[in-house]
Amino acid sequence: MAAGPAAGVVIADGGVASTAEIAEFERDRRALLRRGFGLGGAAVAASTIPLLWSVRSAFASAEGNDDGDAPVLARAINLERVTVIAYDTVIAGGLLTPVLRETLGRFRAHEKEHEDALVTALTSLGGIPPAPPQGVADVDKIVEGLRDVRSRADVLAFLIELETAAVAAYHDAQATFGEAKLLQTGASIMANEGQHLVVLRRAADQDPIPNAFETGEQ
Amino acid sequence: MDLDHFLRNPQSRRRFFRTSGVSVAGASATFLAACSDDTKNPVKIGPDESDQADVEILNGALDLEFMAVAAYKVGAGGLRGERLAIVKGFLEQEQEHADGLAGAIKDLDGTPNRAKSRYDFPVLGSEADVLRFAIDLENTAIAAYIDALPKFSDKPLRSMAASIITNEAEHVSVLLEALGREPVPGAFVTGRAA
Repeated sequence: MAAGPAAGVVIADGGVASTAEIAEFERDRRALLRRGFGLGGAAVAASTIPLLWSVRSAFASAEGNDDGDAPVLARAINLERVTVIAYDTVIAGGLLTPVLRETLGRFRAHEKEHEDALVTALTSLGGIPPAPPQGVADVDKIVEGLRDVRSRADVLAFLIELETAAVAAYHDAQATFGEAKLLQTGASIMANEGQHLVVLRRAADQDPIPNAFETGEQ
Repeated sequence: MDLDHFLRNPQSRRRFFRTSGVSVAGASATFLAACSDDTKNPVKIGPDESDQADVEILNGALDLEFMAVAAYKVGAGGLRGERLAIVKGFLEQEQEHADGLAGAIKDLDGTPNRAKSRYDFPVLGSEADVLRFAIDLENTAIAAYIDALPKFSDKPLRSMAASIITNEAEHVSVLLEALGREPVPGAFVTGRAA
């Protein structure tokens, strides 16, 4: 993996905006990126500040869609697949201790189980799973920084960001899912992502459970 | 009551929760339906969409949170060092859950239940017993919340419950690790397996 700044969400390119506008945008953007279901895989860059409201509107419309649970399931499947790619990338990156590599291998397997369950749920509703993501570029659409990790600390910071995004997405999906079983499955996956966060935060010497309500907000 | 017997005997567990005042009547019984070994998954979201129904479910959850607070207070007396610090932190978070649930009940013009004056917890003879009992309580709460999720008519309450479920699951991970066990034993957290 190439040298670069610590993993995390950053404004991808410059734009003509004041510091205050950029700061506000960054807050909004981070919140939006964590809600990967709502974005539907659309990347947001600094130059698209005027489009921010339309992105937010798209998220709002996803909540009130008339297509049932299928669109949200499709986005959840994409998020799980992207997460699998991220784990595969860091596991192969040569930056991990054997113990951490084994742990992340288990987490990767969990994400695959989530994906499989969600695909089953979607197909049972008559939906068609989305096209598989192709690589790191698709990970960037959810959380940027995977290409830039160059240390164990960078890996952990990136994965904490990604798992937090997943928690936020499933948290928001609770207000979107219509089927009772999907509400329950979504919560059980969200809780598993929270458990991943516990292990990752401890490995990064962070408080493993900083909040009584795990919503994906940082 | 011996902890091993308690943990291995579903009837003992059900009796404990019911006699501890968390499942006596109304929605508390509904909320704690997950304490049984039944696997019931309603197909469609709640037939009863009244605020009162949400209040009853929330009060059932509040009863469980009160019990967790009491259990962690008792358990803290048997712990030292890092394990004590862990349990103190969890105690504060369970209290935050209770405060949040009570606030939600008031927002719906309901009256929050109050904590019982005492709970008949099993005998916790060692630090490991405290941790094992805490895991059982956390898993019971997780299963009950997951069972309750589709019954909430108010969507933000579902999100709040999911955030509590996730926090309880995180507690389980830390407790499992403190016992030297795998902190993330499976891909789906249901609370039904310790």
